[in-house]
Amino acid sequence: MDTIHDLGGKQGFGPVDVNEPEAPWHYDWEGRMWAMAQSSRNTSVTIDWWRHVVEQLPPHAYMTIPYFEKWCMTDLALGVDCGTFTMEDALNIVGKNALRAEGASRPEVLNKEQILEKNRTSVKTFEEEVDFAPAFAVGDPVKTLSHSVPTHTRLPAYARGRSGKILAQRGAHPLPDKSAQGQEVPEHLYTVVFTAQELWGKDADPRDTVTLDLWESYLEQL
Amino acid sequence: MTSGTSFDRDKLAKIHDHLHSHLPPEPALRVKALESLLVERGLVATETLDAWVEAYSEDIGPKRGAQVVARAWLDADFKARLMEDAAQAITEFGFEGKATGDLKAVENTDDQHNVVVCTLCSCYPFSLLGLSPAWYKASAYRARVVREPRKVLEEFGVSLGDDVAVRVWDSTAELRYLVVPQRPAGTEGWSQEQLAALVTRNSMIGTDRDLEVK
Repeated sequence: MDTIHDLGGKQGFGPVDVNEPEAPWHYDWEGRMWAMAQSSRNTSVTIDWWRHVVEQLPPHAYMTIPYFEKWCMTDLALGVDCGTFTMEDALNIVGKNALRAEGASRPEVLNKEQILEKNRTSVKTFEEEVDFAPAFAVGDPVKTLSHSVPTHTRLPAYARGRSGKILAQRGAHPLPDKSAQGQEVPEHLYTVVFTAQELWGKDADPRDTVTLDLWESYLEQL
Repeated sequence: MTSGTSFDRDKLAKIHDHLHSHLPPEPALRVKALESLLVERGLVATETLDAWVEAYSEDIGPKRGAQVVARAWLDADFKARLMEDAAQAITEFGFEGKATGDLKAVENTDDQHNVVVCTLCSCYPFSLLGLSPAWYKASAYRARVVREPRKVLEEFGVSLGDDVAVRVWDSTAELRYLVVPQRPAGTEGWSQEQLAALVTRNSMIGTDRDLEVK
C-alpha cells in the first residue's frame, strides 16, 4: 500500500537535528511506552501486522505526533480491536491512576536483573528452514516489481521497478505481506544493491549505492 | 473479553481515527491512559515497567556496541566471527536480545563508508545499541539519507575523501546492521576499554566516521 510511512526519497524536509542529548528517552512517557511495548502485547499480533497498524494512523497524525506516541496509539487501537478494553474504557480512563481490577490476573513482577535476563533470552532469528532452493544467486541481476500492492509490503516506493544485483542470500524469512494478515509464509530473502544513479537519476553520485533486504516475490529475473 | 486481533485494516483505521480525534492531544496523557488500562486488566505491573526503563537506561546502550567494535579491532579471530555471523558473535558478550537475532556487521574501509536507516519505520538493534536517537526516527533522516546521503552526513560533520563511496543500508526486513568504524591511528597498544571509549553511537550507525583520539 502507498501509505504515508513510506518516506524514503521524499523531498521537502529540512536539516536533520543532529544535536540531541544521548539519553535513551527525552521524556518520561517515552520510557513508559517503550517498557509497555516490551511486556504487554496481545500474542496474536505479528510484528508485520503491528507495523501495518502504525501505518493506518491518519496521515496527518503519522506526520506530526511523536514517535513513541505512534506506538501508544497503535497499542490502544489494537487493545480495542482485541477486546482487551473498549473504546469507552480508553477514553474514560484519561487522567486516572488505575489499580488492578478485582478478579484480574496478577501480572509478573520483575526486577532489573530479571529484565536483563528476559531481554537476553528474548533473542530470536526470523530465518526459517525451508525445503525449497533460492531462485537467485549472489551476483544475479534482478528487477523489483513496478507497482504498488494492496497489502502491507516492505518494498519501498523509491525502489520499485529498479534494477539491482543480489549482494547476499539471507535464508528464508516470513513474507511481511502475508504475516501482516496473520499467515506465516517463508520466502527467500536477499540483500539487493542498487546504484544511486539507478534510483535517483544521473545527478546522483556515481560512487554511491543503496542496499535493501527484499523477498523473492518482490524480484524478477532481469 | 480479550481475543485475537482481527487483521482487519479498515477496522483499525477507524479505531485510530476515533481515538486520535477524541483523546486529549498530550502524548503523556495518552501513554498514561494505556498504562492505567493495562494495570487495571492485570496485564502489566508498574514495577516491571520501571525495571525495563532502568535496564535500558543503565545497562543496555551503545556502550555494548562499542565493546564489540573495540574487540574486533584487537582480535582478528573475533572480527572474522563478527563479520561472518554478528548475531552469534555478540552472544560471546551476552549482548543478544531485542532485535539482534539477525544482526549483520558491515565494515568501513578507506574507500567505503556505510550508513544505516529504516525508511519504512525505525528498525534498530536495541539490545546492542540501546534506544535509537530521535533523529534516526525522524522523517527528515528517513526520507533524505537514501537520496542525498552525502548532504546528510555533512550535517553530522562527516567529511568524506574523494575516493570514498557511500553505501546506505535500508533495513527493510528483520536484519539489523552494525557499522564497524575504522580504528583511529595513534591507538597502538591501547586496551579494549580505552578503545571502546572512542567508539561513538553515531559511528555504529554511520553518521560519524573519523573517530577522535582523546
